[in-house]
Amino acid sequence: MSRWSYFAKRLVLSVPVLLFGTSLVFIIIRLGPIDPVSAILGQNPDPRAYNNIAVQLGLQTPGGEPVPIWRQYIDYMTDLLTFDLGQSWVIKPSTGVYSIIASRAPQTIWLGFWSVLIALFIGIPLGFYAGLNPNTWSDYTASFGGIVWRAMPNFWLAVILVSVLSQSENFLFGFDWQSFVTETNVVTSPSLGFLTDPGQFVANPGPTFEEFVAATKQILPAALVLGSASMGNEMRIGRTAVLETINSDYVETAKAKGLPPRSIVWKHVFRNALIPLVPIITAEAFVLIGGSVLVETVFAINGIGKLFYEAILNGDIPLVGSLTFFFIILTLSLNILQDFLYTVIDPRVGYESD
Amino acid sequence: MAADDRATDRARTGPGGRDRGPDGDALRTVERPTLSVRNLQTAFFTDKETIRAVDGIGFDVREGETVGIVGESGSGKSVTARSIMGLVDSPGHVLEGSIEFRGRATLRRLADRFSGRTADVAGVEEADRAGAADDDDFVFVEEWDDGEPAAGYVEITRAPEKARRRLRGGGIAMIFQDPLTSLNPVYTVGNQIKEALRLHQGLKGSAATDEAVNLLEAVSIPDAHRRVTEYPHQFSGGMRQRAVIAMALACEPDLLICDEPTTALDVTIQAQILELLGDIQEERGLSIVFITHDMGVIAEIADRVNVMYAGEIVETAAAPELFGDPKHPYTRGLLESIPGRHPDDDRLRTIEGDVPTPNAPPTDCRFAPRCPEAFAECETVHPVSVAVNDDAGDHTAACLLYPEDRSREESVETHRARDASYAGGDGGGESGSGRDAAGETGPTEAGTETSEGGEPARRGGGQP
Repeated sequence: MSRWSYFAKRLVLSVPVLLFGTSLVFIIIRLGPIDPVSAILGQNPDPRAYNNIAVQLGLQTPGGEPVPIWRQYIDYMTDLLTFDLGQSWVIKPSTGVYSIIASRAPQTIWLGFWSVLIALFIGIPLGFYAGLNPNTWSDYTASFGGIVWRAMPNFWLAVILVSVLSQSENFLFGFDWQSFVTETNVVTSPSLGFLTDPGQFVANPGPTFEEFVAATKQILPAALVLGSASMGNEMRIGRTAVLETINSDYVETAKAKGLPPRSIVWKHVFRNALIPLVPIITAEAFVLIGGSVLVETVFAINGIGKLFYEAILNGDIPLVGSLTFFFIILTLSLNILQDFLYTVIDPRVGYESD
Repeated sequence: MAADDRATDRARTGPGGRDRGPDGDALRTVERPTLSVRNLQTAFFTDKETIRAVDGIGFDVREGETVGIVGESGSGKSVTARSIMGLVDSPGHVLEGSIEFRGRATLRRLADRFSGRTADVAGVEEADRAGAADDDDFVFVEEWDDGEPAAGYVEITRAPEKARRRLRGGGIAMIFQDPLTSLNPVYTVGNQIKEALRLHQGLKGSAATDEAVNLLEAVSIPDAHRRVTEYPHQFSGGMRQRAVIAMALACEPDLLICDEPTTALDVTIQAQILELLGDIQEERGLSIVFITHDMGVIAEIADRVNVMYAGEIVETAAAPELFGDPKHPYTRGLLESIPGRHPDDDRLRTIEGDVPTPNAPPTDCRFAPRCPEAFAECETVHPVSVAVNDDAGDHTAACLLYPEDRSREESVETHRARDASYAGGDGGGESGSGRDAAGETGPTEAGTETSEGGEPARRGGGQP
């Protein structure tokens, strides 16, 4: 089986996973303790209004008969799979779920982007550096730092960071974070107009660029918190992977061939060291979804994580269902991305002796 | 300088780098060995102890010759190979000794590149060479031809890392034990061969691909055109070892070090690889150092055999002689342990005990605790390499039983005197004695930084 047919197989296999995941969400929501009608109308509703809503939601036939659960399941699945996500019931009644997600998504994407970037571009190089210089002071420093970052719970780190940065001139020898480079608040949602209209960078470079810098600066503390665990993880795993690779026989062979150290490290060590890092990086991405709920709440960023949290608290079932569906798709795509990266990096993937 | 004295002297002492016999006769050959190792000491410094993995060995490899190094696990075979390649990693260090390499192409390349550290010793008498070479010289040119160095050698122990890198592959290539792991799994076999071609022959693009295909064909890999684009995991074990050999050949080396290249392969494949190595050697005039613990393999491929035990060479002889008439009790024990030698025995024969870890300069025979023929002096006198008897051409053993045509007391005294003169340090130069087979190990290894740096350089010279 070639590498690419292996990849195609993985792609096809993700369909049953998607079906199973969405079914699970249905079970949890519909069979759970939340009565959707009460969630909309509040406690002790008028029975007639209750029936109207129930019919509207597809829980009752107009004749007052309850719709059987398998019927509801089929309706639910058909809607989701045709990407008909319906409308929000509680958070923003009568607003399309799509438009709610669309208005919140950029904040989360911006946050996720930076936290992945911080983890990737600080964690991995630091880990590789430590692995190439094992048992030196720089290695000990990096490794210790990695453990500390890994160990700090992000809800705690988030609170600490907010309180330090909001009065940074008292803690950091007069360094004032809020007025650093450009004036921003610590706890706020970055304005991301430039994301929706990238043409502005050309048409109106000055102010747009300023907006970009401000948005980046605002997101950095949150991204640091969100990426901290991943950063520590990637550092540790990167170090181990490099150490393992550098002591392998093929590196010895490469040395015996007379290759200069630079090409041994870049060609023979790093690519092999990346293989165990791929699942770590993609697995960290799942953690980011959960972490964003927390971090967005603390930093008051109006993103999807915060939306998800509010939707659950308020029993906004279509919104919760759609978001979960959205998360499942995201997770699956990350899985597929992981397989894709594997296929690109490691030629042994999908190989069966035939 | 002293290194040159030794070189010339060695040229006179003949094939095995044998010590001059007790009566002073010496085999004279014009041909100088491609590689000659003298008093090589490599130690690993750990917190707990200093492990003298290679403790003062010496041997020669002539052009087109296969020299076997055989011994149990832990006897220092692989460390010897790595010392020659300059691949000893921290905490290991080559403490002392000289490794002279006479590959012509390498000499020319290094003399050209490191002209500042090249000593012109052409026509200089041995005695006057000290003046002709600077302390940091490591390329020694003995003959010039039209401004090009025609003869000379590279002193590997004194070479800087940059020069060693040029030497590796190009001058001395190495094949490792496990073909399954010695190829990088994420690059095609062709890619890895072409990497060597680009580095050592400057070939690129389609020229390199063609040459890679030729090399794969040269090591009898069928369908080389397709194979060159395949990954190592698509090769079988034997095929992979062939590919590794092709990669080594791509560097066009003068000397090939094979570190147990057939150990991981099954017997039929093993025979094919040995045959292939033989063919390649004949075709290209390669010198081969073949390291193994397998006496059967050594018998098949080696011209000369060095038997190693606990960091020392205990016996050296031409292969037929070693197998026909082994002298050292350890060699005998090794040969006895080959399964099938005594079909009537119920149990396989072994040598009782384990190889000791050589963590101090030797004051006794390291094999004595396991030796069936040990006597009292074995515990107090360190044996040096001597000719096994007066007629032995180049058969030496480091055992108090030899020379066998002397009385026991006389033999022991010979060993004691030679070891003492060695340990005494400065007098060693021309006394005609030495602890290794090559004798004449001068004390003035001026170039080795380690001996100057106060490292525990010399045996008997005090504890590290």
